Amino acid sequence: MEAAVAPWWIWPLALFAVSFAIGIVAVLGGIGGGVLFVPIVASFFPFHLDFVRGAGLVFALAGTLAAGPTLLRNRMASLRLVMPLALAGSVASVAGAVVGLSMSTDALQTALGVLVVAIAILIWLSKDAYDSGAIESDALGAALRMKGDYEDPSAGARIDWRTHRTLAGFGAFGAIGFLGGLFGLGAGFANVPALNLLMAAPLKVAVGSSGLIISIINSSAAWVYLHRGALLPILAVPAILGVMLGSRIGARLLAVTPAATVRRVVVAVMLLAGGRALLRGLGIWV
Amino acid sequence: MGLEEEHDAEVQEVYARWLDGATRAAFAASLIAFLLYVSGAVPSFLPLEALPRYWGLPVGEFLRQTGAPAGWGWLNLLGGAEYLNLACMALICVVTLLCYLRIVPALLGLGERLQAALALAQVLVLLAAVSGFFAGG
Repeated sequence: MEAAVAPWWIWPLALFAVSFAIGIVAVLGGIGGGVLFVPIVASFFPFHLDFVRGAGLVFALAGTLAAGPTLLRNRMASLRLVMPLALAGSVASVAGAVVGLSMSTDALQTALGVLVVAIAILIWLSKDAYDSGAIESDALGAALRMKGDYEDPSAGARIDWRTHRTLAGFGAFGAIGFLGGLFGLGAGFANVPALNLLMAAPLKVAVGSSGLIISIINSSAAWVYLHRGALLPILAVPAILGVMLGSRIGARLLAVTPAATVRRVVVAVMLLAGGRALLRGLGIWV
Repeated sequence: MGLEEEHDAEVQEVYARWLDGATRAAFAASLIAFLLYVSGAVPSFLPLEALPRYWGLPVGEFLRQTGAPAGWGWLNLLGGAEYLNLACMALICVVTLLCYLRIVPALLGLGERLQAALALAQVLVLLAAVSGFFAGG
């Protein structure tokens, strides 16, 4: 359907429906919705990539803000772990946002396509979560007291945890923040492995803390888009409302949906959207 | 529970309470403002019917052709529905800053100076972002 022919209200409605579906799939797939939202909307909707990336940041921000209070109260998110890493990430994310808004659209589309396809392959090949067991904090982690505990009902036990490789963690979150700001992604797909595989936080703490980190990092980068005029309410608000509703449904479906099916769906959608962004950026399929 | 864990629990609860309240308020405001926008109850500066001609343009070209403001210029246009919605977007983007501003004194009160310094540094980064320092706005 041509953007010039379709009535304006078709697009916010379609955006709401797509965001609703992404909200469900993102929760089931354990990924941030931004990594699906940006390539899908950039490839199949008439909005310019500048506005899609701005909406993508607010989209990821909205979902994580809504989940934050629960994650903090059940101690799945740890402020002690989050605060230093989010600080590194948010400085890098504003740099990414500034760079992104000064790059050519074709170069950004191409880079986005490559990134999303690479992430889809990584998700497909990734192994199960890493269980660190008992590890010792490194000196920096000990100084920042990056440790905590939480009640795990499924294990019927209180889990004490601590992290290590703190300096590498700062580097990883700097890089993740930059990419998030550049492409308008929440980057949960990278936060969780960085916290779990690199820094050895338990998976539940990694997932919970990742959400809180996204809410802090995206709060910084979103202002760059807002000040540059790249936040369009007609695009951003239906996306926010759709993802909030979809996430709630997704959370209810989580218990009954086979993880392998969800993973296949997520990978297929990312390959399709990432491939489309790549071809569009290269001028092959405009 | 040790003293450190008690401090963590107290600060996390303060952050969670403010996050919960501010997020609910910002989302409610966004929903109302959007309904006012798309229903036409509050007029917009750029008619909704005209928007499809411009939303496919790069942001610089969009601003040039529509005369939409960058930086804080939208504050002068809050009578228009799209800028009322932008103000609600700004509220969503400022929730984290409010939470951090609230936990700085809480952390200082508990003697957690290193955590307070980190929180203060994050407040400065967020304030710089809000001010438009990074965007040149």
